[in-house]
Amino acid sequence: MNDYGIVLAIFGAIAAALFAGIGSARGVGMVGEAAAGVVTEDPSKFSKVLILQLLPGTQGLYGLLAAVLLLSQIGLLKGELIPLTMAQGFQYFIACLPIAVVGYFSAIAQARTAVAGVGIVAKRPDQSGKAISMAAMVETYAILALLISILAINGLK
Amino acid sequence: MAKLTMKWIEIVALLKDRKKIVERLQRCEIVEFSDFQDEALAKMNTTSHVAHLEKNINTAVEAKEILNEYAPTKKSMLSTLNGRREMETSEFGKYVEQRETYLKICYDLINLKKVITENRAAIIRTQTLMDALKIWLDLDIPMQFKGTKYTRCFVGVVPKKRTSEDILLEIAKINPKLEMIHVEVVSAYKEQSCVTIICHNEVADETSEVLRQIGFVFSSDPTKHVPIIRMQRYENELIKYNSEIDESINKIKSYADRIDEIEFLADYSILRKEKYIALNKIGLTKNTFIISGFIPEKYAKKCIYELETQFTAAINLTSPSENEDVPVLLENGEFSAPVESVAEMYSLPGKKDIDPCAIMAFFYYMFFGIMLSDAGYGVLMVIGTAIALKKFNIEGSMKKTLKMFLYCGISTVFWGALFGSWFGDIVPIIYEQFLHIDAPNMALWFEPIKDPIKFLLAAFAFGIVHLFVGLGVSFKMAWDKGQKLDAILDVIPIYIFVLGVAPLCAAVLVSVPTAATTIGKYMAIAGVALIILTAGRKSKNVFAKLGLGLYGLYNVASGYLSDILSYSRLLALGLATGSIAGVVNLMGSMPSNLVFKGILLTIVFIVGHPLNMAINLLGAYVHTNRLQFVEFFSKFYEGGGRAFHPLKVNTKYIKFKENN
Repeated sequence: MNDYGIVLAIFGAIAAALFAGIGSARGVGMVGEAAAGVVTEDPSKFSKVLILQLLPGTQGLYGLLAAVLLLSQIGLLKGELIPLTMAQGFQYFIACLPIAVVGYFSAIAQARTAVAGVGIVAKRPDQSGKAISMAAMVETYAILALLISILAINGLK
Repeated sequence: MAKLTMKWIEIVALLKDRKKIVERLQRCEIVEFSDFQDEALAKMNTTSHVAHLEKNINTAVEAKEILNEYAPTKKSMLSTLNGRREMETSEFGKYVEQRETYLKICYDLINLKKVITENRAAIIRTQTLMDALKIWLDLDIPMQFKGTKYTRCFVGVVPKKRTSEDILLEIAKINPKLEMIHVEVVSAYKEQSCVTIICHNEVADETSEVLRQIGFVFSSDPTKHVPIIRMQRYENELIKYNSEIDESINKIKSYADRIDEIEFLADYSILRKEKYIALNKIGLTKNTFIISGFIPEKYAKKCIYELETQFTAAINLTSPSENEDVPVLLENGEFSAPVESVAEMYSLPGKKDIDPCAIMAFFYYMFFGIMLSDAGYGVLMVIGTAIALKKFNIEGSMKKTLKMFLYCGISTVFWGALFGSWFGDIVPIIYEQFLHIDAPNMALWFEPIKDPIKFLLAAFAFGIVHLFVGLGVSFKMAWDKGQKLDAILDVIPIYIFVLGVAPLCAAVLVSVPTAATTIGKYMAIAGVALIILTAGRKSKNVFAKLGLGLYGLYNVASGYLSDILSYSRLLALGLATGSIAGVVNLMGSMPSNLVFKGILLTIVFIVGHPLNMAINLLGAYVHTNRLQFVEFFSKFYEGGGRAFHPLKVNTKYIKFKENN
């Protein structure tokens, strides 16, 4: 039965990387489409819209971070698996959920804000800083979710 | 070092000097012109001048783009960092005399570009015609050929792919005298076949009828000559168009060395446009004029002295009144000037605000360093920005931004060293996997990934310090304004409350000495009591006082909780850099063979780390800004100031060499 614990734990790590990653990919894609429109009109705004495009990308990193932390803690990265009971595995799985779920949705919400921000850059390029700040507000919640995931994973040691 | 004090300046001088004086002020770049409103004074209408100059600017810019397209000057990406080139005043005069020639060059370039565009369109047109003609190339009679005295000829297309036998068979159904008919298929494709049919006049009508039935149509664009001749004509046209394009491109290229002159024209037109806009704002009488506007007090004296000695002018300097919309100009020292652009991005300080840069700079660099948190990346930043600053002649806001990243880089090295992260864990990997000895402890303080709780608490502690400094500024501002009681009652209870609650919350995560929690408990209670008692002091009703007190407590508690929690982004971003760098290194060190491992690690290192650095640089920048804007500024800063826009040399390519 010990194996199932490990499976569940890895499931958690994968979920964190997977959903946060998908959310970021969709988000970066959404902003990229809007940004490309601006660049066709005025290529000099490339650097400004690029920053906006990258903003929803961090959730994927957070998912990766939680996954790496978990995998290294259960010894998978060094090839020496620590045996886990079913309950322990499930705990690890649950611990990954905040960043998996919040990561997915916040990336998309942030992407929407960033798409609107691309509109700001198109019309008033001097105000791009404000567009960035607005999009960064959304990220707070991904950070809080990551915080809980990290604390939980770390606490399960 | 802060917001410069602004003065209201009025200059009255002789009308004949007006252009010279405005030019002088433009070179000084210190006076913001205000529109002089007085019905008794006349205004100079310069709108047509401005429009004309704008047209010149656009012409020059367009010409420059054309030159860049066809004769790009070989410049490295980095050299675009270089600022404007310097120009002596005497040289400037020489250029000014030639400005009509430069304008002519610009028009020439634009016309050449037009020729190229027209010829390109003609080429496409001709190529379409050639494509249509291609299927007829094997025809050795003109397509218009209708027959001889005794024969009729049909040149055209029938649908579908057909051979001459197919067509003869169709004709045979009505008219069996096939010896009087000759059918030739010129070319056949899936959709249609090009055919030539020659028949004796006797059978012409029947043949025509059959052809109509099988969908024959005469060619829509029949040639007067044999198709191949028309094809040759088209080819000759193409050669002509191409040579015209080449000729125009060569002519454009021959102007390549005139780019400086075109740039000059653009800049000169900008200069004059700004001057005319300013001239539009001054008030005129028959023999005099008046300029009014804002000037920083610091520079006023020198300016007044210069104007009074060189011209007949009366200058009056006064303090602007309270309700005047005074523009804001920041001036800071070497350390805090770089973050001016960050403050500007939020909003310039309003009337009641102080310049936040000096206080902000330290925290800005510090938080940036904690978030990027890799000494290796920090070193790269320092080297990169230092080289750019040293090697290139960078001006203005770009220079400030680079300096900001230089300081941020230094801070990153510092924090990275404390956390033991040099390109992630590359040093331990080399020690353990290549040299097979235990790695030394890299971290001067501790490794975040091994003790995230410690990092989190440290982040909260930094956050509390940051917030308290912000509160302290608001304390000082209120105190200086004379609202001493407000200063004390708005700030001190929060200090006591937050400091009291902090150890209680920390106790949830780590073990805290009982003494600290006990003291914390009493401080928290005292803070709560103080806030409830004082937050509603402005109200007269006792119940309203209590209600407002409770509301104040709720605001402080929830506000500070969320503010402090927000600093957990220091942990998130700090950990992200190190662990992703670790993943990069892990990918590189997967093979067990040392040689392969070395090669793979090098490749992954060179590709992976710059990527990770770029993403985390962006994250660190954005989130450091956020901590300043949302958490820090909300404590004391309102913003809403209007930037100081003096009449200045707003050129793109050249600047004047100051002869001081």
